[in-house]
Amino acid sequence: MTNLSILQNLRELSAGDRMLLKALVSCALATLALGVIFGVSTALIRTGYAGAESQTGYRMMTGHGVAVFFYWLYFAQMALLMALSTTQSHGKVRIALAPVAWGGLLLMVLGFAASQTGTWTGTPLLYDGSPDLVGENKWQAGVFYAGYVLLACGLFLLAVSAIGTALAAKVRSDQRVWSTTGFAVVAWAGLLMVSSLATLNTFLPAAAWAFGWGEVPANHSTGWHLLFHNLHYLPLMGTVIIWYALVENMTGVGSIFGQRFSKGIFTLYLVFVPPTSLYHMFLEPDLSPVLRGLGSLLSLFISVPTIAVFLVIVSSLEANARARGARGLFGWLRLLPWQEPAMAAIAMAVANLALGGIFAFVLIQERLAPLLSDTFFVPAYFHFLTIGTVTLTLLAAFAWSMPALFNWPLWAPRLLKILPYTLTAGLVLFGVAGMAAGLNGMPRRVLDVSYDGTAPQLWTAMSPVIGLGAVVMALSLLLYVALLVGTAFGAGRRQAIVQPPLFILAATEGAAIRQKAWTAPLCVLVLVIGMYAATILTFALLRALPLASAAGGSH
Amino acid sequence: MTEDSVFIGLVSLIWIALAALYAFVPMFAMPGSAVVWGSGAAVFLVLAVIIAITERRMPQTLNRA
Repeated sequence: MTNLSILQNLRELSAGDRMLLKALVSCALATLALGVIFGVSTALIRTGYAGAESQTGYRMMTGHGVAVFFYWLYFAQMALLMALSTTQSHGKVRIALAPVAWGGLLLMVLGFAASQTGTWTGTPLLYDGSPDLVGENKWQAGVFYAGYVLLACGLFLLAVSAIGTALAAKVRSDQRVWSTTGFAVVAWAGLLMVSSLATLNTFLPAAAWAFGWGEVPANHSTGWHLLFHNLHYLPLMGTVIIWYALVENMTGVGSIFGQRFSKGIFTLYLVFVPPTSLYHMFLEPDLSPVLRGLGSLLSLFISVPTIAVFLVIVSSLEANARARGARGLFGWLRLLPWQEPAMAAIAMAVANLALGGIFAFVLIQERLAPLLSDTFFVPAYFHFLTIGTVTLTLLAAFAWSMPALFNWPLWAPRLLKILPYTLTAGLVLFGVAGMAAGLNGMPRRVLDVSYDGTAPQLWTAMSPVIGLGAVVMALSLLLYVALLVGTAFGAGRRQAIVQPPLFILAATEGAAIRQKAWTAPLCVLVLVIGMYAATILTFALLRALPLASAAGGSH
Repeated sequence: MTEDSVFIGLVSLIWIALAALYAFVPMFAMPGSAVVWGSGAAVFLVLAVIIAITERRMPQTLNRA
């Protein structure tokens, strides 16, 4: 298979299959734009730069979480899952079980409509939809829960179609095993199916109760934690699969460790999902000390697969670049295809993953989780992952594939190359100020944090920075979406379609394998040092706070 | 069987073991855990079986490839 297989396969898809992918991409961009508008509105209301009724503000907050975390991320993942599932085809390219996939898309669209209807007509339940908040607005809550149920069913059907596509390609092709990307796509689709079942496990009882068909769900919180654990892993797994596929397509460089080893690394994702879920239970007051210790130990493994994929990709790129003559510790970076907007987005996604990863490890520690879980530290750090890492990667994949899918050149590719940097700048402002405020106790999920002028001075000082960061981040995202929408409508037609260069980096396998590639291990060392430093700093800051704990056996 | 079905089959075995742990060891008991991880184990088991059957039905010339 050549390094242009994704783009070639997209061009060779039938009109109907292309329409399916275009519809998924369109839904993804629409939900991202809407979610970002809700998000920046929430940030401006929180920081006092915009006014809104309390109910409206919380509806914005709920709409933001639901639209971005559930619908944007999953419409986009489904578009790319389906696109990558076709890459195993040799000869005639088509999506298997296309009516099933269309059914899945329809259910997701209906789910989005239901989630937003429930949010804007009933009590804003935030994205975890706790039944405790429903009050009198039960049918509206039922509509909100039904949205998640429809989403789960839609995801399941699309995953079935993606697996069917990869299986059909295996039968038709002359290769007995899938490529690494093909195998990873099937593993990703499998985890999607499990996550769909976890969504049903959480929200089906809640929907039944809200519509008057069942009892109050007794274990909604635990079900949410299980689902949420999957939702931590799933987009990250998709992200590293997209990195692997895009890098291979842009540079021609595959894993120097071999196909079987790389498949084993992607399998690790699935191996580590269930046992690492224990740390979500750290806030349970009656969790046994043994389980707390075990949960802490297992939580250390959560980033192992992601770091392993990072090592495989970066070491393979460096070894091939050195085989082609790159010199100096970082000289090989100059040989990467920086002319591609997707490359800039992936580079910033990696940097943001390092930042988000460092602070994630601060949060999931048994001693710190109870102190930080309800503070603004949480949204401040996880935007590095959801927006800075996953969203940037998904947008990078769109920027790479949309010219082939829509048959128009990219619109304003130079601007697309700059936007990942401006987005990251906004994210750093938002994240650093938010984490500083969170470490000083600023609560999350609260619209008015002024407390009639009695709030700590640091909260007041950090709020404008948080607001400014949110605005920069939102404008960068909205502009990125606008340029991609323009691309879909042919706004870039005056520019000639630039054919991606062939095999920029790929050297002969023997030459690459003999090279020394230390950058990736050094990055991991810096990451570990960063985790220790952030943990020490956090403990020092929290010990310095004038707090007196009066907590008993509950939280 | 190829590495594709073996890796997915391995995942299903690990998930079965963990689902059993969540279901039968009181210390690990969390409502819904066994159901979610157990259904996940079933998904990966079915997937591994389908992949293996697909590989077995491929032409013998390809099986020797």
